[in-house]
Amino acid sequence: MIAIETKQLKKSYGAVPVVKGIDLTVEQGEVFGFLGRNGAGKSTFINMLTGIIHPSSGSFSLLGVEGGDDSVKKDIGVMPDYANLYGSLTALGHLKFFSALSGRPASKAECMKVLEKVGLEMHANKKAVKFSFGMKKKLGIAQAIIHDPELIFLDEPTSGLDAEAVLHIQKLIRDLQKSGKTVFMTSHNLDEVEKLCTRIAIMKEGEIVKIGTMDELRAFYRSSITVKLKHSPIPISEQAKLREWLESAGTSLEMNDSCVTITVDDEQKIAEMVRAFQQCRVDVYRVHVEEPSLEDIFLEQ
Amino acid sequence: MYEIGKREFVSLFKSFKSIMIIAILLATSYYSAKFASFIVTELTDVEDIDIHYFGLLGLIVLFGQLFIMGLSHDSINRELHERTMRFLVTRTSRVSILLGKFFGILMFWFVCLLTSFLLISIFAHKLDLYIFSQTMSLLTFQIALTIFVSVLIPKPSFTMFLGIVVGILVPIMGFWLTLTENVWVSWIKYITPFYYLDQDGYTFLVTFLFSGLLLFAAGLIFNRRDC
Repeated sequence: MIAIETKQLKKSYGAVPVVKGIDLTVEQGEVFGFLGRNGAGKSTFINMLTGIIHPSSGSFSLLGVEGGDDSVKKDIGVMPDYANLYGSLTALGHLKFFSALSGRPASKAECMKVLEKVGLEMHANKKAVKFSFGMKKKLGIAQAIIHDPELIFLDEPTSGLDAEAVLHIQKLIRDLQKSGKTVFMTSHNLDEVEKLCTRIAIMKEGEIVKIGTMDELRAFYRSSITVKLKHSPIPISEQAKLREWLESAGTSLEMNDSCVTITVDDEQKIAEMVRAFQQCRVDVYRVHVEEPSLEDIFLEQ
Repeated sequence: MYEIGKREFVSLFKSFKSIMIIAILLATSYYSAKFASFIVTELTDVEDIDIHYFGLLGLIVLFGQLFIMGLSHDSINRELHERTMRFLVTRTSRVSILLGKFFGILMFWFVCLLTSFLLISIFAHKLDLYIFSQTMSLLTFQIALTIFVSVLIPKPSFTMFLGIVVGILVPIMGFWLTLTENVWVSWIKYITPFYYLDQDGYTFLVTFLFSGLLLFAAGLIFNRRDC
C-alpha cells in the first residue's frame, strides 16, 4: 500500500518557487530519508504534506486519503521543524493533551511507556519550560508517536542531541519500522540516513535530483570507486609498465613501494588490476575497496 | 474541539483572572445599585431589583470588549507566533481549533457571568434570565470579534495594542451610531449589536447571527493561512 503519493506538488512564496513540482511515492513500511542542504525545500515539502502550509499547486495523498482531508490526521504523527512546546505543560501533560486531540486518548501508563522510549521517563512531571533543547526534541518525537500513528514525519529528529540520545532515537526509528510503521524523515546526519533509511531522496533547489535505495545510489555513483592495493615490492623492470597500465585504467593514481591507491569507474577494473599485478610478479596482499558513501553522493550533487 | 476548548477554559480559569473578573462584576453590580438608590430615592421594587443587573449589563457593554480583548487577544496568533499551532493543525481540523478556542473562552465568561448573577440574586432576591441572555449575547459577539482579530492579525503585540483601541472605540461608536440621526452613518447601527440590545423583546438574538458571521469569516482566513 502507498503511504505517500505526491503529484507535481509545488510551493511558491510570491514569485520565488521553493518546491518545484515533486512527484514521489513512498510505500508503507519504508523508512524514507529526505536529504538536502539548508533551504533545499525539505521542510516546506513536509509542511505541505502535514497540513502546516498549503501547496501552491499539485496534489498529494497520505495513506490513500486525498490531501486536505482531515480524517487522515489521526493516523499521522508529526515532529515539525521549529515548533515550540507549551511551557506550562509537563511532558506527561503534553502527551495526554496531544493524544486526546488526535482522538486516541492515552493512559498515564501508555504515556510513560512512550516517554521511556525517548528517554524522558525521569522528567515526566517536569514543565516543558524547564527543558533543554535536546529534551524538547525528545518530547517532540514522543508526541508524534503517542497516538500510535501509521505514518510518522520526523523533521531532523536527532539534530542537537547527544550521542547517547541519537542512538536511542535511531533504535526507536528501527523499532517503528519493525512494527510496520512508515517513517518519513529529513536529516543532516548522512551516516544516520545511510543506516536507517530503506530509500533516500536528495533534494536540491526545490527538486528531487536523485532517489533510490542506498545500493541504487551507490551503483549510480560507482564511477568513483577508490581501490587501495597493498602489495609486495614491484620489480624495477616492471615499474614503468605497471604504472602505464594503471594510468590507463583509472585516475587519481598514487603509488609507493608497497601500496597503490587508484580511482576506477568500473568494478571489472579491480579484477583486471589484480591480474596485472600478478603478471608483473607482484603479490597482492590486500585489496580495500572504498564505495561512495552517502556523503560523497550528497556532496557530488 | 473539546480538548482545545477545555485547555483554553482551564488556562483562563486557573489563574487569578476569573476571581478578579467575578469580583469586578459583583462590585459593579452592588455599587451601581447602591449609587442608583442613593441618587434616585423613589425606585419601585422592580426597578430596585433590575438596577443590579443593569449595572452589570452596562459594565459589559462599556468594558466587556476591553476585558475580553485584554485576556484573549492572542488566543490564536500567540500559537501561530510561537509555532505551537503546528502541533494542533497536524492533529485536528482548523475549524475545530477555531471553534475550540471560541467555546473555551465563551465557557469561561459564561461561568464568570453565571456566578456573578447567582451571587447578585442573593441580595437582589431575583435571577433575571432575560438580562443574563442579553449579556451573554453581547459577550458572544465580543468573543467572536476577538477571535476574528486574533486570526486576522498574526502579531500578538499588535493585537494587544489594537485590543485596547477596539475595546474603547467599539462601545463608543456603537452608542453613537445607535443615537445619531445622521443619515449617512446611522445605517451602520444595524450591523452593531448595541442597536439590537436597545430594542425590546428578543431582537438581541440577532447578535448571535453576527457572532456566527464573524466566526465564519475568521474560519475562511484561518483556513488559508500557513502556520
